[in-house]
Amino acid sequence: MASKSERKVILETRGVYKQFPKVLANQDVNIKLHEGEILCLLGENGAGKSTLMNILYGLYKPTAGEMYLNGRSVVFSSPKDAIRLGLGMVHQHFMLVETLTVTENIILGSEPGRGVQIDYREARKRVKELSETYGLKIDPDAMIENLSVGLQQRVEILKALYRDARILILDEPTAVLTPQEVEELFGVIKELRASGVSIIIITHKLEEVLDISDRVYILRRGKIEGERATADVNKEELANLMVGRSVVLTVHREPHEPHPEPVFEIENLHVLDDRAYPAVNGLTLSVRPGEVVGIAGVDGNGQSELADAIMGLRPVQSGRLLHLGSDIARMSTKERIGRSISYVPADRQRYGLVLSMTIAENIAMGYHDRSPNARGINLDYPAMARRAEELIGQFDIRAPGPLTPAGQLSGGNQQKVILAREFTRKPTFLLVSQPTRGLDVGAIEYIHSEVLAMRSQDVGVLMISLELEEIFALADRILVLYEGAIVKELDPDRTDEREVGFFMTGGKEKAS
Amino acid sequence: MNVLSIFNTDLLVAMVRLSTPITLAAIGATICERSGVVNIAMEGIMIVGAFFAAVVAYFTGSPWLGLVAGVFAGGVYSMIHAAATVSLHLDHTVSGAVLNILAFGLTRYLMVLVFGHPGTSEPIARTLGNFQVAIPLLSRIPVIGPIFFNQTPIVYLSFVMVIFFTWFLKKTKTGLHVRASGEHPLALETIGVSVYRMRYLGVIVSGLMGGLAGAYLSIENSASFTEGMTNGKGFIAMAAMISGGWRPVGAFLASLFFGFADALQIRFQVFKVLQVPEEIFIIFPYIATLLAVAGLVRRSRPPKADGVDFMIERPEE
Amino acid sequence: MIAAITVLTIVLAAAGTVLYLGSYFWGGFLILAAIALHLFKVFKRDGAEETMALVKKSYKMLWVPLAGIVIAIVTGGIIMVVTGYNPFKAYAALFYGGLVRNWHISVLNAAPLLFTGLSIAVAFKAGLFNIGAEGQYYMGAMAAAWLGLTLNLPSVISITLIFVIAGAFGAAWNFVPAILKVRTGAHEVITTMMLAHTARYLSPVFIRANGGDPSTSTHPYVTTEILESNWLPAFQSFLPEANYRLHTGILIAILAAIFVQYLIYQTRIGFEIRAVGQNRDAARAQGISIGRNIMRALLIAGFLAGLAGVNQVTGLDHKLFENLQAGYGWNGISVALLASNSPIGVIFTSLFWGMLDAGGQYMVRTTQTPNAIVEIVKGILLFLVVAKYIYVYLGDWIRKRRKRRLAAGVAAAEGAAS
Repeated sequence: MASKSERKVILETRGVYKQFPKVLANQDVNIKLHEGEILCLLGENGAGKSTLMNILYGLYKPTAGEMYLNGRSVVFSSPKDAIRLGLGMVHQHFMLVETLTVTENIILGSEPGRGVQIDYREARKRVKELSETYGLKIDPDAMIENLSVGLQQRVEILKALYRDARILILDEPTAVLTPQEVEELFGVIKELRASGVSIIIITHKLEEVLDISDRVYILRRGKIEGERATADVNKEELANLMVGRSVVLTVHREPHEPHPEPVFEIENLHVLDDRAYPAVNGLTLSVRPGEVVGIAGVDGNGQSELADAIMGLRPVQSGRLLHLGSDIARMSTKERIGRSISYVPADRQRYGLVLSMTIAENIAMGYHDRSPNARGINLDYPAMARRAEELIGQFDIRAPGPLTPAGQLSGGNQQKVILAREFTRKPTFLLVSQPTRGLDVGAIEYIHSEVLAMRSQDVGVLMISLELEEIFALADRILVLYEGAIVKELDPDRTDEREVGFFMTGGKEKAS
Repeated sequence: MNVLSIFNTDLLVAMVRLSTPITLAAIGATICERSGVVNIAMEGIMIVGAFFAAVVAYFTGSPWLGLVAGVFAGGVYSMIHAAATVSLHLDHTVSGAVLNILAFGLTRYLMVLVFGHPGTSEPIARTLGNFQVAIPLLSRIPVIGPIFFNQTPIVYLSFVMVIFFTWFLKKTKTGLHVRASGEHPLALETIGVSVYRMRYLGVIVSGLMGGLAGAYLSIENSASFTEGMTNGKGFIAMAAMISGGWRPVGAFLASLFFGFADALQIRFQVFKVLQVPEEIFIIFPYIATLLAVAGLVRRSRPPKADGVDFMIERPEE
Repeated sequence: MIAAITVLTIVLAAAGTVLYLGSYFWGGFLILAAIALHLFKVFKRDGAEETMALVKKSYKMLWVPLAGIVIAIVTGGIIMVVTGYNPFKAYAALFYGGLVRNWHISVLNAAPLLFTGLSIAVAFKAGLFNIGAEGQYYMGAMAAAWLGLTLNLPSVISITLIFVIAGAFGAAWNFVPAILKVRTGAHEVITTMMLAHTARYLSPVFIRANGGDPSTSTHPYVTTEILESNWLPAFQSFLPEANYRLHTGILIAILAAIFVQYLIYQTRIGFEIRAVGQNRDAARAQGISIGRNIMRALLIAGFLAGLAGVNQVTGLDHKLFENLQAGYGWNGISVALLASNSPIGVIFTSLFWGMLDAGGQYMVRTTQTPNAIVEIVKGILLFLVVAKYIYVYLGDWIRKRRKRRLAAGVAAAEGAAS
């Protein structure tokens, strides 16, 4: 392999700053990308990685700084310019129009055809050729909404290749994939490198950096903290650079004997999704007080429908939900909350908080109709504020005061407001869905320790997570969810991520 | 008198005529909402279009110039909606409501200014209603011929528009961009097509179509402008758009249904079928619209980003 | 205690506004007194710094509407100049007519607007657009006229009954959109609008059945006069100098505004309505029923709009006219938006709107300027107030220009130096 100094620099940033109304997302960022290399940009959630990439891609305009492509200074006024000069980007949240077909999504913006009309025949042909050239198999006529996440990502990559991308930016590409799919993706990436494409991967996972990259930049709080050749670096050093201290990502989990009598049971549950297709298919499980049951699965296998059904946000087709022995399947959400069932939803901004309302109001919500929050029909605002004040201290929420609107808080502090509300209701059963999504290491550690604290108070915890790391860190038992049913129960001490991943993708046990 | 005698070809001819403004406005609104902008200002756009069409037709004596003026006025007026919702990020319904209010004030003011009095304008000598054209051969087909192929210019134009915009959405590049802009605007922006541009386009199309619908009211279906002559048709057009599942052909069919309800009530009124006040018949189309929206809304799916403001740079979480 | 002072402040401010409109200047002192009282309260509670912060905040809040008013008036003036009217004369007439000469008409106009404005504001709080308030207005008015013709009870009882029952008719008229919204998701903009047209056409039927004479085609239909015991008391009965038409409806409307403010911001019903309006999914996940709160909001909205009709029939006209272009629904939208859906704010915006209408009529009579110019000024003002983002752009633009000028200046200076 040619030494680094000989390799041509094809993309370079000099002194890039990005100021958002309230945050300085990037400051003085200088990075270089060499031709035909895989470069990782490592950083925590909120470190400013995506912002930087969106600047490279022309979506955001930098407040200051310059970019050079093949040594020439470039200014992108929109992604159009970036695309024309050979940049492609696969966003963390896929930029695919769900109601259009694979072909339509791939050709969008650079459609073949003379004049105003699209030549669909030509388009299909080109998509087919492309998918054959790179070995990325796909049905060109499938609707995006019917594809799995892994296939959707494939469409995104094809979209970039269709535009002849020479530089490909991948934003957290493995976030939603199973270990098997990750391997497959890495294979594709290496093949692309072989054909001369330069690749930037944004990630917060240390293993990934070591697995795939040639070189890595570490970004912390918007600044480049260091640059390393992957071959000369180890995990500890990377973690240190990324967080600024040595981190042990596994929270200490003390052994805790659960009570034998289950607090919450699900029997043969059937639930439909928004399009009235079955999403939960005869799911059965039980949770005992004082244990954390982790549900592992690829996104879209019925997780959100299951959570909705448990909380009464979606009708149950058939099956029973037993809480302390009585069936709650027909009860309203309000009654369920009244029965001391607590819920930390996956999408905190959509389902967890009313962002325009104050912290005090958000903490009172749900119990706003009873003492001490209300007297008769009147709300007792001073009492609500006092309680919020207390919980702000207890949960270490960084906020000016109880009357601050929840929308002004950072993601981690918003999640803490939700925890403050849900964990202080003296729950007997706790449903937690993706509790640390998009949070930085400090917040993750805090939330994990709080969940384990609930466990040691003999609360039954059911945790749905897409991050296997999280499942292994917290769960006493792992249930693998596939196509709306539990296909396997595993003991975290006697299994590994590969085995869980195998069952997550519908793998069957060998009949031995 | 036999009630059944009402149901004849004339009724269906009237149906097509009465549905034309609704069809045009509904197609305009469909394109607008497919691009992601909710437009409840169709009523206001129509009244502006109707006024300018009438004024120009009255003073120049040429209904064709009136037609152009009406369409143009609608387009210009809708630009305010586009600027407000797309560039100024104003809530779409609020902007639409304000534009409706403004349109009625504006036309009343201009009415006094131009004609010297509020209410109804002086009659227009030559209107597009005078240009009834029977299409050779096609108009001879029994039943269908007289209904669809012996009509006035804007009615024909509305047929063309149904076909044109169906083709536009399904087959053209811009049509694909418009659809993407209403479903997932950021996806469109990230491949280098301006969402703002698509949304401006969508709103302006609705303005041109609304202006055309207004022109139909004042210089083809009648021969003068009257304040408030749209009479809720802009809102019925929205109902047609929803019932038609945000598709031009669907909107056309729904509009025909509302036109039918209207034609029927006029006949009931004229023939005094039942001994009840005539107003009971007048409200018939409104009730029909209400029921249609209530019954069909569940089955049709609006564009996902319909009415959702689009702004590129938001700080990350 | 604090609640009592708050109510007192609001009543004083509102009374001050009404009286100011009526009595040239001295009522203005009541407004100042109310503001001073409020500031004193804050000072007593939170100290000097907070008080200053509040003053600054209110100043910032008022900046947008005030700028809007100025720009709208200037634009209206330009339109008048272009179309050949004298803007100075017209505006002089407008303000003289609205604030001084015919102040009582301003107040009379404001009362129904205050009710419909509240109606729309309440619906907005739940994220709903009660665009068809006009229909509920007609239902309330018809019910009030019918009850006014038939109820023969002591004044206090019958008027209370009329307000409650006729308001309930308005609410009932909104029951259909509400249930359709909850059950099928049918958009309330379309359903309430269709019902508004329906109610509009039902009113002549009602009027003919209750004394309207269809043979006098030139004159609008009108019902027979309601019983005198069902008239809202006039101000004249305790303020002898007051105009004979001025009735106590405005006071009831102000009380309604205070009640709505209390309902929305101090009770759990209001809390739920606001939660549903701002984030439906989060509210639902906390056990707040979306359907029930949509129902509540639309029924309350219907009730309030119905009261606007009651106010006109029992207070002003004492009969029901056929008036197909009354427009209280539309104008209610304006006053609600102008007040950013604040119930207390609606008191002031409706008085302002009423003033513009009254002044507009006076302006037409004395200067022959078409009344519709007022509508245009209103429309522009509304637009400038709701499209707040305009000011963000404007600020950006000014800042950039200043920067560029500065840069140019620096460059020039450097050039000169070298």
